[in-house]
Amino acid sequence: MTISVWQAAIIALCACLSSMPGLGGTTFGNYTLGRPLIGGLVCGLVLGNLPMGIMLGAAVQIVYIALVTPGGTVSADVRAISYIGIPLAMLYVSSVGLDPAGAEAQGFAVSMAATVGTLGTVLFYGTATINLVWQHMGMDWVKKGKLKSLYLTDMALPWISHILCSFIPTFIICMFGSDMVQIIKDYLPMDGLAMKTLFTVGSLLPAVGVAILLKQVVSKPVDFLTFFFGFTLCACMGLNLIGCAIVGGFFAIINYNIRCLSLRPAAAGVASADDDEEDI
Amino acid sequence: MKKLSKKALNHSFLNWFYGNLTCFSQEHMQTFGYMLSMLPIVEELYSTNEEQTEKIQTYSTFFNTEPQVGAIVVGITAGMEEARANGEDVDDETINGIRAGLMGPLAGIGDSLVVGTLLPILLGIALGLSGGGSPLGAIFYILVWNIGMFLIMRFMYFKGYELGGKAVEILVGEKANAIRESIIMLGTMVIGGVTASWINIKTSFEMIGEEGRVIVDLQKTLDSVYPSILSAVFVIICWYLLSKKRMSPVVVMLILVAVAFVGVLLGFFDPKLAY
Repeated sequence: MTISVWQAAIIALCACLSSMPGLGGTTFGNYTLGRPLIGGLVCGLVLGNLPMGIMLGAAVQIVYIALVTPGGTVSADVRAISYIGIPLAMLYVSSVGLDPAGAEAQGFAVSMAATVGTLGTVLFYGTATINLVWQHMGMDWVKKGKLKSLYLTDMALPWISHILCSFIPTFIICMFGSDMVQIIKDYLPMDGLAMKTLFTVGSLLPAVGVAILLKQVVSKPVDFLTFFFGFTLCACMGLNLIGCAIVGGFFAIINYNIRCLSLRPAAAGVASADDDEEDI
Repeated sequence: MKKLSKKALNHSFLNWFYGNLTCFSQEHMQTFGYMLSMLPIVEELYSTNEEQTEKIQTYSTFFNTEPQVGAIVVGITAGMEEARANGEDVDDETINGIRAGLMGPLAGIGDSLVVGTLLPILLGIALGLSGGGSPLGAIFYILVWNIGMFLIMRFMYFKGYELGGKAVEILVGEKANAIRESIIMLGTMVIGGVTASWINIKTSFEMIGEEGRVIVDLQKTLDSVYPSILSAVFVIICWYLLSKKRMSPVVVMLILVAVAFVGVLLGFFDPKLAY
């Protein structure tokens, strides 16, 4: 498998659309095109091996199923994961002749994506920094009353940031991808320490994504019991996520009703006595 | 009596839907997306360029929240801007107070409910449909997520516009806290479920006796104590490092690389690879 100029250009364009401050918008860019499963679909279609793209994309998706960027702190860059990591993994898997459904191919895809995803945060900070220039220009224009310039600042000028920080890096890495995976293959034997470590890192990394989410929702130690309740439902009782969400929703309703009951005495103080009786 | 047309509101909503983060920087995260989505509103309410410029600058202060749930804030300010154009007592401080007050609570709801709960569930279903490399799961996700999110954001925007300043009571009152707490509780449980379903950390540590007999199979022993306990332990350790030790996610990842390296050396982890 090789990547032609056109294929690399399409993949690089998707990188521009999908990144965190991406030009596809939040919903369609970051949260759709940026997801590794969709990246696998796109790369699979572009490179002409759809099943392999999906299988590797799905494996990588598991790592980043809960990737959040609270307050603009980015721990992994989706454009690098989906449009640099997955194409490289596809090149490697097809050149070594691994079964894309097998554990080795998927483990490699995960480690590859996680490595470039972490390195790719440089691209995120690069894009955001160049955008500062457009924002300062845009602020001046707004002060001078050129309001239509907002379209230019918000939707057109960021393309320059993305051509520099998304298009060019992705394009170059995809073009030279086959050489790169050849080097990996020659110098890093599968059962060597480096590869074993890479694969193990791939299985440990999802914990960071979930921990970032957990940081958002846990405010007191008791909240961990809620977390372990959900964990127990799935790990010990074998529920899937939809089942878990329904049980969770049920408990959320109970919690809401209890909280509302505790609000009542305060409300009763303002309301008249008649209203109180009706409530009961 | 000035009344915003459906066309201006739709235009404003679409500007937000697409442009909320397109020009992101660490200094003004969603500020430009916000100003752009207020542009159709002020253009319709005020006729002179001076007035429009003055009003749009109300929104030039910092803004950042979960942009999808945050659509409601843009709707609220559109409603307040209309009230202001009709001579009601609304000044820049009121509007920016509301914007600043809602950013935090909405980010909490958005991150836990949308990104933490809805997204993993949809992706989980999509992964289930992707067996054998089928594109069905990806197509399912693209359709359901985009159509669903568009409708939800549209609903939030117009609800916010309808309620205007009144929305604040609904969003930050005692009752809102109860709802928020319950939603976050649901989110926490689903995150527990995500950990159990999608994180798979296993040890390969074994003690082998004289005739190749396995004396201790650590993974089996751990599973009999509490299934998938290692996955939970790693998540808790990462949480501890992130929130109690205030490390950045990148540092935590590097620590995990070190843990993996040492673990492989000691035979604690072994992915059992071969060409």
